[in-house]
Amino acid sequence: MRFWAFGKRNLKEIYRDPLALGFLLGMPIAFIVIFSFAFGGEHASPLNISVVNEDNRSATSEAFVQCLENMENLEVNRISEKSQAEEELSTGKLSTYLVIPEGFAQQAKQEGQPVKLELVFDEADPMTAQRVEPVIRVAAAKFLQISSPLDIKLLGQGVEVKDNYINYMVPGMIVFGLMILVPTGVRIIVTDKEKGFLSRLLTTPARPWDFILGYALALVPVVAVSTMIYLGVGMGMGLSMVGNLGLAFLVFFIIGLCCIGIAMILGALFSSEAQGEPACWFFLLPMAMISGAWWPTEQMPSVLQRIAAAFPFFHAMDASRQVITGGASFTTILPDLYWLIGWTVVLFAIGIILFRRQMAS
Amino acid sequence: MNVRVGVKLSEAIQTFELTRHFNSLVAVNHINLEIGKGELFSLLGPNGAGKTTTIRMLCCLLKPTSGTAQVMGYDIAEEPFKVKELIGVSPQETSISERLNCWENLSLIGEIHRLTSTETKRRSQELLERMGLIERSKDQVRKFSGGMKRRLSLIMALVHDPEVLFLDEPTLGLDPQSRRAIWEYIAQLKGKKTILLTTHYLEEADVLSDRLAIIDEGKIAVLGTPEELKKNLSDKQTMVIKVGNLTAEVMSGLRGRYAEVEQRNDELILSASELDFKEITEYLYSQGITIRSAALKQPTLDDVFIQITGKELRE
Ligand SMILES: Nc1ncnc2c1ncn2[C@@H]1O[C@H](COP(=O)(O)OP(=O)(O)O)[C@@H](O)[C@H]1O
Ligand SMILES: [Mg+2]
Repeated sequence: MRFWAFGKRNLKEIYRDPLALGFLLGMPIAFIVIFSFAFGGEHASPLNISVVNEDNRSATSEAFVQCLENMENLEVNRISEKSQAEEELSTGKLSTYLVIPEGFAQQAKQEGQPVKLELVFDEADPMTAQRVEPVIRVAAAKFLQISSPLDIKLLGQGVEVKDNYINYMVPGMIVFGLMILVPTGVRIIVTDKEKGFLSRLLTTPARPWDFILGYALALVPVVAVSTMIYLGVGMGMGLSMVGNLGLAFLVFFIIGLCCIGIAMILGALFSSEAQGEPACWFFLLPMAMISGAWWPTEQMPSVLQRIAAAFPFFHAMDASRQVITGGASFTTILPDLYWLIGWTVVLFAIGIILFRRQMAS
Repeated sequence: MNVRVGVKLSEAIQTFELTRHFNSLVAVNHINLEIGKGELFSLLGPNGAGKTTTIRMLCCLLKPTSGTAQVMGYDIAEEPFKVKELIGVSPQETSISERLNCWENLSLIGEIHRLTSTETKRRSQELLERMGLIERSKDQVRKFSGGMKRRLSLIMALVHDPEVLFLDEPTLGLDPQSRRAIWEYIAQLKGKKTILLTTHYLEEADVLSDRLAIIDEGKIAVLGTPEELKKNLSDKQTMVIKVGNLTAEVMSGLRGRYAEVEQRNDELILSASELDFKEITEYLYSQGITIRSAALKQPTLDDVFIQITGKELRE
C-alpha cells in the first residue's frame, strides 16, 4: 500500500521536527493554562451577579436561582424589583444583571422550546457581561436537562462543576488547537513541493489518492494525541467532564479531520511556504473568533453568527461544549455532527480533485 | 515485453516535435530525439536551455504544449503510469526526505514501486556500499553534505532497478572529487541501462556520453558522438595569441587575411580553414606587436559549443 508507506514517511517528518511539534501543541496548551489562571479557578475572584426573578417566583425559576447560588465562583445577589436593578445599573453600582423573564417555568417544562433569559449590562463595561455569560449558559444548560423541578437539586448537587469558565473555555481552545493542524499540514505539503520531493514522488507510479491519503493519514494520530493532551491539560486546570468523554472526543476527531481536509486543499493551492502559512492564519484566526473559540458568539451581529454557523468550527465548539459542560447526548448534538461530517466529506473530495489537477500540469 | 505498433524496439526514448511553452517563453522547441536502449545520451546546454523542462516532460511531470514522446514505447501523455513504472529519476534539486535516514528514504521508493522489503534492503545495501554512504546510512539526511545528498539521490533513482534513468545535472555544484566518483559510477551503468543525462559541464558530457546533443534556447543545435562533434570542427583551425599592444590597424589587417578574427581582452583568436603559425607570428612582429604566447588549439567540445551557440558555457 503506497499511501501507507507515504503516510509513515510524513509522520516521521512531523514527529522528528520538535520545533514544529512544539508550536503545534504548545500554543493551545499555553492558551489553556493562561486563560485558566487569568479568568478561572480559585485564582480568579468570584463573579458577582444580580438576579431579578420576574417569573412570579415559580418553583422552577427559584430552583434555577438556587442552582446559580450553588455555583462555586458565582456570588448571587437577589434584587426583587427590575426598576431597582435598572437604577443601580444607571448609577454604576451594577455593571450587569440577569433577568429571569415571565414564562421561564413554562418554557423550561416544554422540551424543545427556547428558554429566554436576559443579561442586561452596562455598555461601558461589556467585559463583565462577557465573563458572566458563559457561566450562566453552563448553569442553564445543566439546569434545563431536567424538566421536573424536584430533580434539579439532585442534579445540582450530584454534578460538581468546579469551574464553569474553564469548562466553557477548554472546548474552544481544543478546536483552535486542532485548527493549527491546517498550517502544519500545509507546511509539510508546500515544503515537499518547494524542495521538489513531491515532484520526485510524482515520477513514481503513485496515484493522486496515495498522496492525499498519505498526507492525511499522518495527521490523524496527531489529531488523536493532541486532543488527549489538550483534554489532559484542561482537566489539570479544573475542567470537569459532565458528558461522555468518548462523545466529546468524537467531535474533536471529526473537526480534526475537517482541518486535515482544509490543509489538503490549501496545500494543493499554494506552492511556497511564504504564501501558504500566512494564508492559513488569515483564514483561521477570524474563523476562530467568530466561531466562539475565545468568547461567546451570541452578542455578535446575526450576519456574523450566520457566517460562523455555515462553517464547521462553530459546530465543533458548540457540540463539544454541550457535551462537556451540559452533558448533552449523541442525539442532541446530531445536527452539529451532520455539519461536521458533511464538511469533512466535501473538503476531502475537493482536496482529491485539486491534487489530481496538480498532477496533470 | 509486448511489441507495440509503430515502435522500433531498439529505441528507449523517442520524442516527436516535443515542445513546451511557459506563457510566451518557448522553453523546449520542437525537439526530436531517438535514444537507443542501453545508450547514455547527454543533453548539454547552458542554464535555461530547456534541459530540465525536457526531462520533466519525459518523466510525465509536465504536459507538453505540443508534440509528444515515448518511453519504452509508452506515450507519456496517454500512459504516464506505465512510463513511471519503468523510469528512475534523479531530479536537479536533490529532493530527499530530510528527516528520514538513507534506509527510510530508499524503502519509501521501494514500497511505492511494490518491491518486497528484502529486495529493497538488498539493493539498498549494495548501492549504499558502492556509493560510500553505508557508514552514514542511519543518519537523518538533513545532516548530509551536498555531495552525499547527490549520491543518495542517485541511489533513490536506481533502487527499484529501472530500465530508463533520467539524471538531471547529477554533479551540479559538487567538488571535482565527488564529481569524479559519480562519473565512475555512471560509467559502470553504461550499456546496462538507458540513461538520459543533462549537464552544463562539457567534460562530463565528453567523458560519459555515447552520444550527445547540444541544446540552446530550447532547440537541438547539434547532435552526435563527442568525437564526431569535435571532428566536424577540425576542418577549421584556431589560434590563440596573447598580445601586448594591439591596434585597430592590425585588427583590420588580420581581418583581411583570415576568416574569423576576434579580440578578447589581451587575447587574439583567429580561425580559418588553414592557419600558418609562422606566418601569423611574423606578421604580428612586423607590425610591432608584442607576442606573449601563441598556440594552435586542439578543438574541444568547448569550441564546438561556442561555434554553434555563439556563447561560452561556463557560468
Ligand atoms: N515552471 C516554469 N515557469 C516558467 N518558466 C519556466 C518554468 N520552468 C522553466 N522555465 C523557463 O524555461 C526555460 C528553460 O528552463 P530549464 O528547462 O529549467 O533550463 P535548464 O534545465 O536547461 O537550465 C528557462 O528560461 C526557465 O526560466
Ligand atoms: Mg536544469
